[in-house]
Amino acid sequence: MRRGNFVAIGIFILLFGGLFFVGPSGTQKIQSSFLGLIAPFLKTGSNLEKRITAVRQGLKTLDQLEIENRELAIANKELRATNLMLRELEEENRRLRKSLDYRERASFRLVPARIIARDASTWWNTLKIDRGFEDGLDVDMPVITEEGLVGKTITVARNASTVLLISDEMCRVAVNIEGSRDQGIVSGERSSQTGSPVIGLRFLPKMAGLQPGQKVYSSGVGGVYPPGLLVGSVKEFKVRELDSYATIDPAVDLTTLEDVFVVVGKK
Amino acid sequence: MIPFFVVLLICCFGSLVLQHFIPPLPFLEGARVYLMPLVFFYGALSLPFSLMLLLAFCCGLMWDALTTLVYPVKGVPTVELMVGFSVILFAVLGAVMSGFRPLFQRGRWEVHCLMSGVCTAAMLLTEFVAITVRRAAVDGGGFFWAPEIAWRIGGAGLVAMVLAPVVFFVLSFLARLVGYDPRQMEREEE
Repeated sequence: MRRGNFVAIGIFILLFGGLFFVGPSGTQKIQSSFLGLIAPFLKTGSNLEKRITAVRQGLKTLDQLEIENRELAIANKELRATNLMLRELEEENRRLRKSLDYRERASFRLVPARIIARDASTWWNTLKIDRGFEDGLDVDMPVITEEGLVGKTITVARNASTVLLISDEMCRVAVNIEGSRDQGIVSGERSSQTGSPVIGLRFLPKMAGLQPGQKVYSSGVGGVYPPGLLVGSVKEFKVRELDSYATIDPAVDLTTLEDVFVVVGKK
Repeated sequence: MIPFFVVLLICCFGSLVLQHFIPPLPFLEGARVYLMPLVFFYGALSLPFSLMLLLAFCCGLMWDALTTLVYPVKGVPTVELMVGFSVILFAVLGAVMSGFRPLFQRGRWEVHCLMSGVCTAAMLLTEFVAITVRRAAVDGGGFFWAPEIAWRIGGAGLVAMVLAPVVFFVLSFLARLVGYDPRQMEREEE
């Protein structure tokens, strides 16, 4: 081996040795800085991807447009009728709330965010969003949609963040089950035979006896996720030797997500 | 040589960004398309050993900065795989690729193609084993394996083999563009 190679190996070992002293906070700083650097490229790529998809979807034949137009006209009529009915219900609801002196539910302060990239690794389930600490985001903030829980923030840069999805093995949520006093922990599976994300409900008592379709909500234990967020519904229930286990259908379709909300606090 | 190293570094960064927009392949049980390792492996074959190490350091650091998880264990933030894990991984695989450099310089382009597939699969397998060991230490669980994991590892390797000639062609073109010829360099070294 040439002398130059030994020098290169020496320098490499020195550089690598420096990384040994990087702790969790240092790692987060490195990740945050790199995410900040890569975010503009991801945003540009995401916009480009959307434009290409829009153009591809926009190309239709005259026949297709005619059918679509007919369907839209029918849907329009249906929606008008539904809208009228809902207006009446809204008015009735307002009156009833007033009469019962209804106290407004405590709601969350939400920051809307757009997904700029999905994870590009095999073993971790994450995605990148276009909001960062400039928008008030911090590490360990819950990420939701109107349908339910998505995950939590793990790396926060200035204008972008990484979200760990509930389908990841290391994302754990303490949950309650609808119509039951049982509690458990929801976390993702590292592999799924169907290709779509699978999440499991563990640490259930043996006699839990869950039924398919029962809703699963965050319990608030642990402090990261507020209580009452819909996580999913029971798909399958199995009794094991020491405990029982349920497979959960996520409330949110994690594969087609485009926009999310980050819970930055209470109103 | 240095301009080509810079070109490779930019390509590594670009391919890392690009691979975010490539969805997993359902017919290979969700195997991913990895572009950055392909670029790096080309670099390992075409650059001298010292520059390969520098490229491995940069690629490994970028890889870890994007993928490593930091999660709380009993309330204490813990890094799943330390920053630098991929640096070593890239360096070791790069060194293996460097061993095939004489063949590559004799014009055997298929070396890049075959070895990229093998090394991509080896990289994923090492990551998987490291994660399993780490998570077993944290949770006290045992070794975990499922058939789809083999598909994801092997599938990514297969895809790398299929894509390697394209990457080879593009990077060879870029090398010529900046006036770098690995074969010429070898003759000079000899």
